[in-house]
Amino acid sequence: MADEASSVLPHEEPLPPRTDLWTGAAFLVLGLAIVSVAWRMPTFKEQKGEIYTAPGLVPGIYGLVISALSIWLVMRSVRRGRSSAAITSRAAPDGTSNLRLALAAALGLVFCVGLIGHMPFWAAAAVFVTAFIALFEWRKGDAWPRRFLRLGTAALQGLVTGAAVSLVFEKIFYVRLP
Amino acid sequence: MLDSLASFGSAFAGFMSPGVLFTVLWATFLGIVIGALPGLTATMGVALMTTLTFTMPHTHAILVLVCVYVGAIYGGSRSAILLNIPGTPASACSTLDGYPLARQGLAGRAMGISTTGSWLGTLFGTLCVAAFTPVLSEMALKFQSFEFFWIALFGIVIAGTLAGGDPLKGYLAGFLGLWIATIGQEPHYNYQRFAFGSTDLAGGIGLLPALVGAFGVAEVLQAMRGPAVKAVSSKIDSVLPRIRDVFRHWRTILRSGAIGTFIGILPGLGEDTAAWSSYAAARRASKEPEKYGKGSVEGLMSAETGESACVPGAIIPVLTLAVPGSAPAAVLMAAMLIHDLNPGPNLMLQTPEFFYQIVAMLVIADMSKLLFGLTLVRPLLWILLVPRERLMPVVFVLCVVGAYSITSRVFDIYVMLFFGCIGFILRELKFPMAPMILGLVLGDLLEKNLTRGLVLSGGSVVPFFTRPACAVLSAITILSVLWSIPAVNRGMRNLFRRRRVA
Repeated sequence: MADEASSVLPHEEPLPPRTDLWTGAAFLVLGLAIVSVAWRMPTFKEQKGEIYTAPGLVPGIYGLVISALSIWLVMRSVRRGRSSAAITSRAAPDGTSNLRLALAAALGLVFCVGLIGHMPFWAAAAVFVTAFIALFEWRKGDAWPRRFLRLGTAALQGLVTGAAVSLVFEKIFYVRLP
Repeated sequence: MLDSLASFGSAFAGFMSPGVLFTVLWATFLGIVIGALPGLTATMGVALMTTLTFTMPHTHAILVLVCVYVGAIYGGSRSAILLNIPGTPASACSTLDGYPLARQGLAGRAMGISTTGSWLGTLFGTLCVAAFTPVLSEMALKFQSFEFFWIALFGIVIAGTLAGGDPLKGYLAGFLGLWIATIGQEPHYNYQRFAFGSTDLAGGIGLLPALVGAFGVAEVLQAMRGPAVKAVSSKIDSVLPRIRDVFRHWRTILRSGAIGTFIGILPGLGEDTAAWSSYAAARRASKEPEKYGKGSVEGLMSAETGESACVPGAIIPVLTLAVPGSAPAAVLMAAMLIHDLNPGPNLMLQTPEFFYQIVAMLVIADMSKLLFGLTLVRPLLWILLVPRERLMPVVFVLCVVGAYSITSRVFDIYVMLFFGCIGFILRELKFPMAPMILGLVLGDLLEKNLTRGLVLSGGSVVPFFTRPACAVLSAITILSVLWSIPAVNRGMRNLFRRRRVA
């Protein structure tokens, strides 16, 4: 375990070359798009503007640097892919679930786009929190009384969250809510 | 000297009212809770509180943020010790010895060591803030656009090189952040860049919605995807620190304090690098290196002292150069700008009292952290056991409020969502987040000083390399990029090895 101190952190573990290849390609497209848009920006020469203050100069430089770095990433991933000691992707730790991720993202999206602005914020927050807890705590094998209890506590937490956020932010800290 | 002491005294006296002390207590406690809960980080806590406090007077608002920052970095050690999961990335190192100590039935002793180390670390770093900030500010007053350009670029490159992981991805993240900072009206002709006709985009990407998304929403998504956590035990021995532990490891405490503060001063590196570096240095110097990773008191002390000394260290470049030393310090700097404070070399000229107040805030927050560290053991354990299904929706609601409340634009909520997705994907692709945040924060400084420098020199880049400070900064920046190229790195190492043999 002591050796872990000198070993890599979770975000330092290298990815499979194919992943880096696609990442590099995506960044290359972004970098070239930035250069293209920056190139077409006006230079304001007719207003006696100097070329150093042209709006496209700095983003254009950033675009070029991003393109160069992404080419470097692509070339490195190709080289690593060719080597015999290619890195394979590590399995996600036990208990990791992409379904939970998708559900959380979908609920967040519905809250921001579908609920906010269509009802008072406290109500939107209450509905979101209740739905989030109810869906994530839903167990197939549970008896109905237990499910009703969970749903009840979820609704209670939702209402308390909506009321508390409105009270604390609007009444105490004078912050405007969506 | 006496004037300075009197100013420190009056700054402390200004915070000694019951109302302010109550604010200190709740803010520090909130920070500890945020830090202790896996999935919530110091950056996110400071970003959320920035929006909550922006109607407060600036002194109170910054006091709250400093307390949350100090508390959150310390709070991460609770989950590191009891759950083997770092509450914040900064506490990852504390799991190595904290968790084995807890498994040996010494969770209380481990928490006592972490509290003492963290308290002494912040105190050491605060002394450095008091001692070095005026000197560095005076030096920075002589800097012009050329130097500020290099400071901004140096920060992004150093963060990319040393933030951990792949430097190439660090640089990409940094330049991505710099590009995002160019979206909206540019400073010379008010031309709308990358707005594509959208009035919302023409207003630019708000720093806080982007930060809340990249740290808050991305962390909610990560927490919901990952496995659930379990506490190692609910029985805890005494958390009172043993004086013997402090006296026995005084060298480790001083060394880790110095390393943590120094890493804090370097732009963008932050508390996690400080903890790992302090831990590695302590292990190299230790008489018992074999105990490291198996429950070493010295190891835990070094990690905690290093990460907590980094907090004041990261504030030093904010006050002297307007360049943040860590991600939470970047948000703190953004909060100072929102409150019309002017971080950077002019701060000591325009609002010298604020410098003394910051020192007083750090000391008061540190004391408050010590108080909670020694008393609130059981309630913190209960909070740690709150299921993520019940916690994360509340965090998400707070993120939405945080993103919206500064400018009251619904567009900022969409910015938050977008950056939440980007932050999540970039983390999965092993991109460090610190360079991107630094790019976002420093983008404006870099662009303005680059163009101003070019106008002053009539388009010549020579002054960017020949002025003394520029020569040093450019050399370090270029060398650090070259160092990250494996072929150059190998060549340099071989060269030094050959010279040593000769």
